[in-house]
This record gives sequence, C-alpha cells and structure tokens, in this order.
Amino acid sequence: MAGREAVKRAVQQVRPILSVDREEARKRALNLYKAWYRQMPYIVMDYDIPMSVEQCRSKLREEFSKNRNVTDIRVIDMLVIKGQMELKESVEIWKQKGHIMRYWKESQDPKPTDFLSKFIQGIN
Amino acid sequence: MMHAALSQSTLQSPLPSPLLIDELTMIRAPLVKALGALGSPTHQIASRAVRTSAVLAQTPAKAPEKIEVFVDDIPVQVLPGTTVLQAAAEVGVEIPRFCYHERLAVAGNCRMCLVEVEKSPKPVAACAMPVMKGWRIKTNSDLTRKAREGVMEFLLMNHPLDCPICDQGGECDLQDQAMAFGSDRSRFTDINYTGKRAVEDKDIGPLVKTVMTRCIHCTRCVRFASEIAGVDDLGTTGRGNDMQIGTYVEKLFLTELSGNVIDLCPVGALTNKPYSFVARPWEIRKVSSIDVLDAVGSNIVVSTRTNEVLRILPRENEDVNEEWLADKSRFACDGLKRQRLVAPMVRMPNGELQAVEWEGALIAVAKALKQANGQVAGVAGQLADVEAMVALKDLVNRLEGETLVTEADFIKGAGIDVRGSYLLNSTIAGLEQADAVLLVGTNPRYEAPLVNTRLRKAYVHNELQIASIGPKIDLSYQHDNLGADASLIKDVCSGAHAFSKVLEGAKKPAIIIGADLLARSDGAAIHATISEYCQKLNKPDWNSFNVLHNNAAQVGAFDVGYQAGAQRAVDAKPKVLFLLNADAGKVTREQLPKDCFVVYIGSHGDAGASMADAVLPGAAYTEKQATYVNTEGRPQQTQPGVSPPGMAREDWKILRALSEVVGTPLNYNTLDELRSRMEQVAPHLTRLGQLTPAGNNELSAKVTPSKSINGGPIDVKQKELRDYFMTDAISRASPTMAKCISAVNKQQRLNEQSKQSVAI
Amino acid sequence: MSLIRQVLCRSTPTLQFAARWASGQDLGPIDLNTALARPDELEQRNKLSGKITVPVDVNLSPISGVPEEHIKERRVRIHIPPKNAMQSGTDNINTWQIEFDNRERWENPLMGWSSTGDPLSNMNVQFGSKDEAITYCERNGWRWFVDGEDKPKKERVKNYGVNFSWNKRTRVSTK
Repeated sequence: MAGREAVKRAVQQVRPILSVDREEARKRALNLYKAWYRQMPYIVMDYDIPMSVEQCRSKLREEFSKNRNVTDIRVIDMLVIKGQMELKESVEIWKQKGHIMRYWKESQDPKPTDFLSKFIQGIN
Repeated sequence: MMHAALSQSTLQSPLPSPLLIDELTMIRAPLVKALGALGSPTHQIASRAVRTSAVLAQTPAKAPEKIEVFVDDIPVQVLPGTTVLQAAAEVGVEIPRFCYHERLAVAGNCRMCLVEVEKSPKPVAACAMPVMKGWRIKTNSDLTRKAREGVMEFLLMNHPLDCPICDQGGECDLQDQAMAFGSDRSRFTDINYTGKRAVEDKDIGPLVKTVMTRCIHCTRCVRFASEIAGVDDLGTTGRGNDMQIGTYVEKLFLTELSGNVIDLCPVGALTNKPYSFVARPWEIRKVSSIDVLDAVGSNIVVSTRTNEVLRILPRENEDVNEEWLADKSRFACDGLKRQRLVAPMVRMPNGELQAVEWEGALIAVAKALKQANGQVAGVAGQLADVEAMVALKDLVNRLEGETLVTEADFIKGAGIDVRGSYLLNSTIAGLEQADAVLLVGTNPRYEAPLVNTRLRKAYVHNELQIASIGPKIDLSYQHDNLGADASLIKDVCSGAHAFSKVLEGAKKPAIIIGADLLARSDGAAIHATISEYCQKLNKPDWNSFNVLHNNAAQVGAFDVGYQAGAQRAVDAKPKVLFLLNADAGKVTREQLPKDCFVVYIGSHGDAGASMADAVLPGAAYTEKQATYVNTEGRPQQTQPGVSPPGMAREDWKILRALSEVVGTPLNYNTLDELRSRMEQVAPHLTRLGQLTPAGNNELSAKVTPSKSINGGPIDVKQKELRDYFMTDAISRASPTMAKCISAVNKQQRLNEQSKQSVAI
Repeated sequence: MSLIRQVLCRSTPTLQFAARWASGQDLGPIDLNTALARPDELEQRNKLSGKITVPVDVNLSPISGVPEEHIKERRVRIHIPPKNAMQSGTDNINTWQIEFDNRERWENPLMGWSSTGDPLSNMNVQFGSKDEAITYCERNGWRWFVDGEDKPKKERVKNYGVNFSWNKRTRVSTK
C-alpha cells in the first residue's frame, strides 16, 4: 500500500557489533559453521538421535543457507551470536533430544499454502 | 575440555579478541538503536513541539490581527473572540470541563473550567470568557486548583457513590476529574439522615437508560436535543438543588440521533440500555471501522470482547459524521448475532436447505455454473462491499456472463456513466456552507440522519433556506414544502418558480435528489432536468448537483461498473443467479426461470437466503476488511473486529474459491492483490478516506434524450421514525430495532389517547 | 621492569607511554589491557569503537525471533488511536500506533477469559511519527498500511452571546 517511500537507497553510520567489515563477518560465519560441523558426531552420540552425521550436516547446511541472503553486517553478527548460543547449548547438553529433533520436524502440523485449502480450513 | 576450546574458537574473530562476554555486552547499545525507532517519550514531546511551533509559525501570516495571550507563561496567538479554554487547548493545556462541548453551544453552568487570570479578582469560566490581549492565564495555580476542588466537592455532594454498579465506570469524566482535581477527603456528613439528593429515573425510550440521581446538570443532552437533533424534548425543571433534567411530561425521547446523548453525558446518568451491565471499558478491544447501514459511511469504533461485538461508538471524522452516530448504526449491532448463516447450505430435492461442508457447496455451485453456458447474472445488495463486487464481476465475466446489477433501482437507461451524476457532489461537509437547498423526493432525516444534521447545522448557523418537493415530512428544521407533484421540478428548473430565485441568488445552492425518486419511470427525465439546471447553479468551486443514496453499496457498485435495477437480471433469464447480500426481496423465485440456480452469498438468513438453491455464508461488515464508498464518493474501509461465525468466510474469498473450483481461478490470492485489481478498475477506490472530485456531469445531461416528466405525486419511503429502524438484513435481525419500533408505536397510541381525552 | 621495557619496545603505539614515562610527570596507573595489547588487537579495538557503514534499510526478521508465519502473513495498520467518544479527555491519542490484523478470539470455557492464539495481538507500540512506525514495520518485514492522517484541528468560534441573540436561529429555546 501507500508507496513505500521509506525504502531509500541510503547508508548510515552505526556502531559495529562484532565485525567491522563484510570479510570479517564472513569469517565468523564460516568459523561457526566449521565448529558445528566438527561437533556433529558428538551431538549425534550425546543426544542419541535417530539421524546420521551426514543427515545432521546437511541439515546444518540447510539452516545456514536459510540466511544466505542476509547482507547487513550487524544482522550477520547477531545470527552468529545466536548460532553460537545454540551450539553452546547443544555442546553442554543444556538441550534435550526433542530440541534437536525439532530441526527436522515442527511440533505442529504444517499449514496449507494454496488458496483453496486455506479457504476450506478457514486460515487467513 | 574440548567444549571450552570450541566455544572460544568459533566466535573468535580472525584476530584474537578478548572474551566473548565483553562483546555480548558491548553489542547491546547499538542493537537497541537498531531494533527500534520505538518512540521514546522525549521523542514524542519533540515531535509535538515541532507541531505546535509549526502552528505558531503559520498563524501570523494567515491572520495578522491575532492577539497574544499567555497560558501558563507560554505565549499563544489567537483570533479575537477565542475563549480561554480554546486558547489553552492550542498549547496543549486541557482545562477540565463538564458542560462545555466543542460541538454544542456554550452553557457555562458547571464551573469546572474556572481558571485564574492575572489581575482578575475572581477566577473566570474558561469556556465562556473570550480572551483579551496580554492576558496571563494560570491553569495550574493555587487559586485555580482551589476553585476546581470546590466545584468538585459540590458536584460530589449530590452524586451517588455507585461507580461499582455504574456503566460509565472506567470511562467517566466525573470519575477521572474527581481523581485528578478533587479533594482527597470528604466533608459530606449526612446530618439528619436525609441522604443525598435522589431523583426518580425517567423512561425515555428503549435505547437510553437513565439514572437521574447521577446527573450533574451539565445540560449537554438538552443542548444536543435542541441544537443538533432539533427535537425540543429534553429540558430542565426546577431550580437549585431541585433541578431536574427530563421531558416535562412522561414521554419517550424518540429521535434518530438519541444515542448520542449517551456519549455526551459526562457521568452515568444516560447510558446505553442494550449495553447495560455487559462489559467494562478496560475489557474491550476497540477496532476503528466504518458503518454500512446507511450511505453516509459514518466512522465508528467497534467494541469487541471474546469474538462478540458489544457496542458501536462514533469515531471523529470532521468530513463525514463529525462525532455523531445515527441510532440504527449504533444499536443494530445485536443483529450481527442473530439470523446468521454459519454453514454452507444446498437445497435438497425435497426442497429443504441442508447444511453441507464447503467442498460440497462449492462443487454444487460449480456444477450449475458449468451447465449455465454463460447465462450467469449477479445482483449486489445493499450491504455488498466493493471487493466482493469486483470479484463477482470478474467471475461472471470469465464465465461469459454480462448481467451485473445492483438490487436497488436507479435511473433506467444511461445516466450513470459519469461519476458526478450519482454522487453527493457538494460533499457532506460542504453542505454546512450551503445557503439554499432544495430537497427533491428525499427525506434525509431518516435516509441519512447525519446529512440531515449538517443541513440543520447550516440552518442554525448559516441561515440556510430549505425547500422540499415531496410529501410533507418533519425534517427537524423549518422548510418550505413546495408540494408533492413532480411537475414542480420542471417549474423550479425552468426558473419560473419562486424558489428558483432563491437558488439562483444563493452563493452555494444545492439540490439533493433522493435515489428512490430516480427509480421512477421518468427518473431519467428528472435527473436530466435537474442536472441541466445545476449547470446553471454551479460555481467555480461548488457543485450543486447531489444524489442522496440510501444504501452503502450503491456508489461502490456504480464505480466498478454495475448497472442499476434487479429487473435487468430477471430479464436476462439466467441459468445461475448470484445474489450478493441481496435481501431486499426485489428478485423473487416466481420471476425467474424454473431451472435457474440461485446462489446466495451473504451474512444473514433473510429474503435472499430463503429463495436460494445454494447458500454460501459470508462475513458481516464487522468481520472483514472491506471497502465501502459513501454517497459523496469517499472510499473507506472497515476493519475486522471479530472473526466470522462458524464456517462463514469473507465474501470475496468465497468467490475466489468458487472460481478455482469452476476452473477459471481469479488471479488474486490476497487482499492486496485484489486491491490492485480494484485500482485497475477504478483508481480512486484505493485512495481510502480521500475524496476524489467527480468530473462535471454535463455529459449525462446531453446524452439523455427524453425530457418529459410525467407528473404525479412524489413519495418517499421513510416518512416517520418507525420506518427508519429496519431497512436491511442486519437491522431486521436486531431485537433492539424491533423494540424501537414498538416504542414508537406505543408513543403514538399514547399521543392519540391524550388527544382524545383533551377532546372529551 | 625489564618485562615492561620489553613490552614497550615491542609495540609502537605504546611508545607514547614511554615518552610520558620518560618525561617524569605524574601519570597514574597504566591500563594493562591497552599496554599489553598487540598492535593488531589495538587496531581492531579502535575499529570497533568507531563506526561502520551499513545500508539504512535493514531487515531484522532473521534475528527478531518472530515466527515466519507472523512475518509473511500479517498486515500492520499504522494509525492514530481515535478519541473515546464517551469522554472529553485527549490524552494518549497524539501518537501513532501499530496494530496487527485481527485474528480469532474466543471465550475460555472454564473461566470465561478472553483467549487468543495470536501472539502479536497485544503488541502495542507507540511512535512519535508516522515515518518512525513505517521504518519499524519495514525493518521487521511486515506489510503495512497507513490509515488516516494527521489533520489539523478545525478552529471553531465559540460565543456565549449567541445563545441570546434576538435575530438568529442560534437562540436557545430550551433551557
């Protein structure tokens, strides 16, 4: 609606979070990825989940690719921090099996996306 | 061991950096900034300051003769004659008040607005006192506060302490102001056990509940009744402690605007009868929406709780309804809970409607559509929204049908090609400035009560002269009834009539035609004659030609290309007929071919649903986000306050789903996509809340060939208050509206009896 | 002492300390964190305390934690809350607010409370201006529309005297 005039191709000066440039942010993301990657066998073993290490690693890749379009340095930094927290929780066994398995399956049934089934189920 | 090493290695920057904790705490400040332009208090103050300074900056240029006064040492420039209260409001200082109301005459009797003015011996009543040059007004000085406290003590002395059982509790001006300005203790002692003042409650009708003991004699209701409603029914009797507000003799306060005294009453003396003891203001959610029960498009606030509409209040909009609301719009909301269609239904071979699942209903309709071979027609009723009408039009056109009409009649033949020929071109707010108005075949008092209040406002404040052609009716203000014969239109428009001189001499003349009048067989001629005459009356920035519609869907339907008159749909002999909210009973089963499959889409089980072969339950106006165009051509949208009951769905979604089942899916899945389709059809429909001036209506006057007005008396449908209450599916389903009608009948019986007894 | 000298010699930026030390003025305690840092560390710290350049329109939806469903399918209405018709006060209605499209609500069968499955329905954020609200919605990835505008208030002439004017229709008939 009503012309998105707020979208301006402009830049601003802000305080950095962790990284000062794209390259550094990229390195942080890669570091996080590598750490997760190396941790996978231990996660499979510690949590005793019915998944192979390869499956876990492909899921890891999937989770990272979800945010492949993020360009803002600060958002990348925040994502890295959040990913680090997740990793820490997994490593320290602060999570439980169900938390890990949620990466594969949501606890609720998926909602329909096409118009007709949404209409019949009465979802907005 | 390994864990520790790991947690360090990951987050670490390529450069060895200090501890992770440090970094996490460091990010907090920039993150908060990034997360929100959350308006901080300082920010708000700043923006307000900008606004006030902008006002200050532009004022001297506009009117140089402004005078300067100081409100709490803040200088403000105001026009001479401005009251102290208004001057204070300019700088954002709100002075407490009970009797003063922006839209009513100044009464100055509550004394709550007393403020100190420097060098004045006594505090002055801010609402009535005009400011003088250089005055220093102190709205928060000791004297002012003492005056307020004293007034409050007097008010509370005779006010019952029944807030816990009072419906106004929580949104009561007296409650709030007693907290803010009253004393923290009471000196009231009941010396002789005489109790507080007690006043008998009055029965003034089925809409307004009275608890007169709570009354603080602000006389807002009295002023509203005599100034705005034009019904001198309320007044005061007695003096001092014995003063009472009432109707002199026991009588119902019956006007189409009676509900507004509930809003005006600053205490709980006049409250909403159907809403009494239903909810507290802090429990309800408020949704800003639009009223659709008449063509004014009043702005409303829908109060809801737990998926139920509890009450409807007006919302301020200077251009449409000011801050009033007609009774039907306000009280018919209980009709939204009755007679609702909650499941799709299909007529079985034995002739009964059977509730089915959506799949079954959609497939049944789709089958009929496949067999129709393009013989499809659509009729839009008076509550249809623009979205649904566009979707229906697209669907019918895809099925190679052409016939799309509104249920209400209008001009036969051409005449609605130009937008200006079916709008209230002078605009509702503009009528306030009119100085000569001719009403032709319309009763604005009941067809559009809030247009009538504008006319009355102009009558009172602008010396408006009004004449009407049609039956003799009470319009709540004085007007000349020129007669009921249609030939009078020709007389006036030829300039021969005496009132023509008035119209031609006026600065802003207006002619208002009732939409029902144009449905006559000579409607086109009447329309052409008047619109030709209006060309003569028009001023450079003033269009005098007005059509007053009486249902909310009409203008929107014409805007998206619907034709007028349900008869066209019957004449087309369709195999499938869509009734979109069409409940007026203009189309009957007998008129249609035997094999016609009637599909009803709408919210209430009324005339339309009872004759349908398939009933698809739609949403009412409080349950959907939908566009309606009012009689002046202003598109406005409703907001969903509650969700549709049962399996009911939004109307346009039903049509979209149906199109997919038929196999020609309409190419919009979301409201935004549908809105951009609407923009293609008529660009002004998406400029919500704004008025797009219609082009000149010269064209239609030239196009219409015949100009013979047959004569014969002009009639209007709604002549008396009793005709006003039930006009559509929602108000017909409302028990409150039924009570109103029986109250009007009762009052009439009583009046006749008293007349007889006087005669004896 | 020799250790300190070693450190000082190793890093160029700390030479100033050496200079100040040598000048023999009263210096106060040396910040060891700074003194012991390597030059690249110091550079990094320097950069971090400065500013970086990023685009103004930032999309926070990946990190806001709001479920995807509530980002893609919600419409935000940006509006000024209307004045309550029942009261004359005008506090709290001078700011812009955001409001999400209304979802189903129901009455709790046990207690009669009002329930909803919508986590965003109670989010009530006030903004100083329309643009702030728009920016907020843009950053969070919500679709938005502005409803209503900030219209200047109409000036009215109020006059106590017109109640008693003898030749105008404003004369009050009922008291």
